Amino acid sequence: MLESRELTKAFGGKVAVDHVSLKLEKGHVYALLGPNGSGKTTWMKMAAGLIKPTSGEVLFDGAPVSIDSRRHVAYMSTEPYFYPWMSVKDVGKYYGDFFEDYSAERYRSMLERMGLTEDLKTKNLSSGMMAKLKIAVTMARDARVYMLDEPFNGIDLLARDEIRTSILEYATEDKLLLLSSHLVEEMEAIADRAVFISEGRLVEQVDLETMRTEQGISMADRYRQIYGHTEG
Amino acid sequence: MLKLMKYELRKTWFTKVILLALTAAAEIGFLIGLYGDRDEPMSVSVVILVLLATFGVLVIGLESILTLHRDMNTRQSYMLFMTPNSSYKILGAKVLECSISILLTGGFFFALGTLDISLVLSKTGELDRIWKMFKEMLAHITVNGRALQLDARTVGALVFQMLATWITTITTAYLADVISSALLNGKKFNGVISFLLFLALNWGLSWITDKITAPIPDMITMMFVYGGISLVFSAVMYVITAIIMEKRLSV
Repeated sequence: MLESRELTKAFGGKVAVDHVSLKLEKGHVYALLGPNGSGKTTWMKMAAGLIKPTSGEVLFDGAPVSIDSRRHVAYMSTEPYFYPWMSVKDVGKYYGDFFEDYSAERYRSMLERMGLTEDLKTKNLSSGMMAKLKIAVTMARDARVYMLDEPFNGIDLLARDEIRTSILEYATEDKLLLLSSHLVEEMEAIADRAVFISEGRLVEQVDLETMRTEQGISMADRYRQIYGHTEG
Repeated sequence: MLKLMKYELRKTWFTKVILLALTAAAEIGFLIGLYGDRDEPMSVSVVILVLLATFGVLVIGLESILTLHRDMNTRQSYMLFMTPNSSYKILGAKVLECSISILLTGGFFFALGTLDISLVLSKTGELDRIWKMFKEMLAHITVNGRALQLDARTVGALVFQMLATWITTITTAYLADVISSALLNGKKFNGVISFLLFLALNWGLSWITDKITAPIPDMITMMFVYGGISLVFSAVMYVITAIIMEKRLSV
């Protein structure tokens, strides 16, 4: 469904993503893991069509990502990106104007679950509230691919539970979910596959259940094995 | 495209409302001065109205350039570039919204100026004398090296030429800014290079337009042709800018 072939992105002299070839299939929730600066966000942004690759390509359903693929890919950036003049209601209207798969009803329901009201101004939101708003409006789309960059950042425990529930509601046979997070234990409860990236390169892609049964280790254990020497 | 234009208008709405409110206040001051026979509020209001008319279209254009810059270089760029719209549509909405705003603002101040002059003439009753004085004053103003005549068509052509030229300047600034963000991003002297490029392009386009229009004998025709060529250049700038955005811009 979503594939990168020899995908590379260099910013000046620094290579952020280095010849990453990766195939992600529908019907799975992927955890995209790696320390800060490992290239997770850059890979996602290229898959969302926001960043042009230096070389290589990203394919959606076998065709290069394009204007058309943006209709089916819901991307949530880790940074706030709404216009400062917008209210929470305006954000919903904006998505409704540009995405055919957006549901105003689902948006309202998500807002209620997140404890947000439509009259709030985005410029006055705390970082936690902003994170909830980004999740609410992204998940209000009925997209085929969801790419959420650090969806749990700055979010309290109860809201995290709500987000986890929403994500699992959306994890159906015909959808692909890709989430990056530093909260590895949190991701373990959601993801069924994991992609480990280090210094812009793909380390490995694993099926978590197979890893647990065959190697007897969890995703967190594997994370420690791969990055322990670099992070510790 | 219309939805994109709606949001472009929304981004710059505040400035336009302020401009409109100031104009309304100045116009009220002018009318009070005119019909209350009070020179001071009238002369102050006239000065303010002339300044608003002159700088209004400039401010609208400058804000449009700044908005494009923000839409490429801050996180709010995702709001545009993650939607299923091509760079042609995104930039097209900006160019159209800005051009329409400039033409409407220019037209609005032209109409308001005409109305206010008519009110002064009808109020003072010294129609012939003021008219003559005004014509003599305009005879000292030259456009493209020729003296300006006072009649509605000439002034209309002049306003059209000025607005069209301003739109070309804005689209040239768009191109320079997109080159800076898409091709020169992270390079040394990026800003200086794009600014020099903007100056060079502007100078080159003016030079070509001057050369083409110089042989046209009739002034009004010349001004309309000048404005028309400027709009063609704007279209060319738009296409080149959109191609660069589509192929090279990362946000």
